[in-house]
Amino acid sequence: MSRGRPGRDDSPDRLYTLTGGRSSSGSDAFDLVTLIVAECDPVPGMQSEHAAILRMSRFPTAVVEIAAELGLPVSIVRILLADLHGTGRISARHPRATTYRLPDLDILEQVLVGLRNL
Amino acid sequence: MTASPSPLRPSALALLVTAAATGTFSMAAVAAAPSSIRVPLGWFAASGSLLLAVAACAVTWWARNARQLRAQVSALTADVAVREAHIARLTADAARETAAHTAERSRLVAGHTAEMDHLSTARAAELDRVTQAHAAELDSLDAAHRAGREQLAEELRLARSGRAAAMAAAANAAGRMQALATGMLADLREMEHKHADEEVLGDLLHLDHRTAQAGRLADSIAVLTGARSGRRWARPIVMESILRGAMGRIGGYQRVRLHSTSEAAVAGHAAEGVMHALAELLDNAANFSPPTAEVHVYVEEVPAGIIITVEDSGLVMSEVQLSRAEQAVTAESLDLAGLSGTRLGLAVVGRLARKHGLTVSFRPSARGGTGALMMLPQELISRAPAEPVPAPPLIAAPEPAPRTVTVPAPRAATVPAPAPAAEAEPVHDSADTTHDSETTGTTPVLGESGLPQRRRGRTLAAAHPEGPDAAAAAARTPAAPGSASQSAARFGSFRQAVRGTSAQQPSTPTHPEGNTQ
Repeated sequence: MSRGRPGRDDSPDRLYTLTGGRSSSGSDAFDLVTLIVAECDPVPGMQSEHAAILRMSRFPTAVVEIAAELGLPVSIVRILLADLHGTGRISARHPRATTYRLPDLDILEQVLVGLRNL
Repeated sequence: MTASPSPLRPSALALLVTAAATGTFSMAAVAAAPSSIRVPLGWFAASGSLLLAVAACAVTWWARNARQLRAQVSALTADVAVREAHIARLTADAARETAAHTAERSRLVAGHTAEMDHLSTARAAELDRVTQAHAAELDSLDAAHRAGREQLAEELRLARSGRAAAMAAAANAAGRMQALATGMLADLREMEHKHADEEVLGDLLHLDHRTAQAGRLADSIAVLTGARSGRRWARPIVMESILRGAMGRIGGYQRVRLHSTSEAAVAGHAAEGVMHALAELLDNAANFSPPTAEVHVYVEEVPAGIIITVEDSGLVMSEVQLSRAEQAVTAESLDLAGLSGTRLGLAVVGRLARKHGLTVSFRPSARGGTGALMMLPQELISRAPAEPVPAPPLIAAPEPAPRTVTVPAPRAATVPAPAPAAEAEPVHDSADTTHDSETTGTTPVLGESGLPQRRRGRTLAAAHPEGPDAAAAAARTPAAPGSASQSAARFGSFRQAVRGTSAQQPSTPTHPEGNTQ
């Protein structure tokens, strides 16, 4: 494991306390690449993960990116997002809905070149 | 003489007899005498007979009287003699009795004296004997007492050493259980990151919860046996994590409601103890309230420190129970004898409170149950939240290296920015500076290519809670992200792709970095 010494974890928070014991978001509105946009600013007294998500997603941010930044499993992040979504604090956009047409071949070529240059 | 008729009758008899005899003789003499001398003779004979009769009568009278008097005298003499004899006898009797009485008295006195002597000697002897017996008894008792005392001392030594050994064994076992629980929690966290399946995740969370409770029990035993506390956090822990860490260790954590806006953090060395003590208070509150009632936790910052209040709406503790609970958490020395297997909580809280200088008190709650107040002294509190502090410099530091030299200014400007603002909300500040430098709006903007234009991975590790090591490692060894967690690895390649294209078009005016100039 990458966090510090093996057999140790550096956060006293257990994941079930973040979600109140839930392990399922109950909705499949969020997949890995769903873009999340905050609809309001964090308010004091909010769960810190919710506040972090709202700060992070002032601009569209993918679920997987949020998960990586929070260092939480995607399933847990989905539950947090579902909570926020349920109270209208965020909105979710699926990339497919906005980019239905294929991008230009030039762009794809440039991406390919870029990838090769890595 | 009428008093003595007896001489009268013989006198009269003698008178009659004499008179009769003499009369007869006189008559005869008168009758025989010549007529010439008859008359004088008559007279003479008559007077002589009369005189004779009187003389006879008087003689009889006197003789009778004399005899009677003689008899009387002799009777009186005899009487006197009898009386004298009686008196003599009585005198003799009295003398004898006096002698007997005197003898008896002297005998009794002698007997009494002898008895007294005997008794006093017997008493002295008895006293000696009793004194000796008492002394002997005292000696034997003393000896027995001394022996008993020595035996007791020996047993006490044995008990003490046994207790110490048992405590050491329990402490050792508790320490190993703590280590196991800590390792299991870390493993479970790793597995939770690995398995995306919701069902598996649910099971893992369940196990996680159970393990956390087992770990708390091991912690309790470790605290009671005086073992070293289980874990030490390397950095201050923010209050929210303290509360959630405490809450996660009890069975009914879903009934706990947290009300905290505190930004303070608890120093790393005390964080575990505070969490543990709070967990015990929460457990008490949850156990002694109805299964559906909520337990509320309030955090209040006061000049002396931070007060954490745990309020339940369960049983109202009586004055006696309240004072007993207070005594349990403030007792100077822990009395292990008063412990019962199911009521370790308050003793643990007391130990932890003494160790970290916490103040715990109880009062009736406005919610109807009991409120437990725990005050954290100022020494345990660090105001600068540690979690966000190291993050901004750490992502800013590794990033300039692979960046092209065309955009050093904004980075150089953002690097010092978070440092002074670290006291407040560093993440927020650094995010703001980045936002100001970007052209994208609040809605997703499609680039010329038609692809949704994403911001750079500006804060990949900004809020990365994995800590400096992970972020630095990810940045230093970008080609080998396998050491990172799965999602981080996935995102690492994503980010590399973004970085590659930006390196290819450093001077593109639409590039976000370009617009910061």
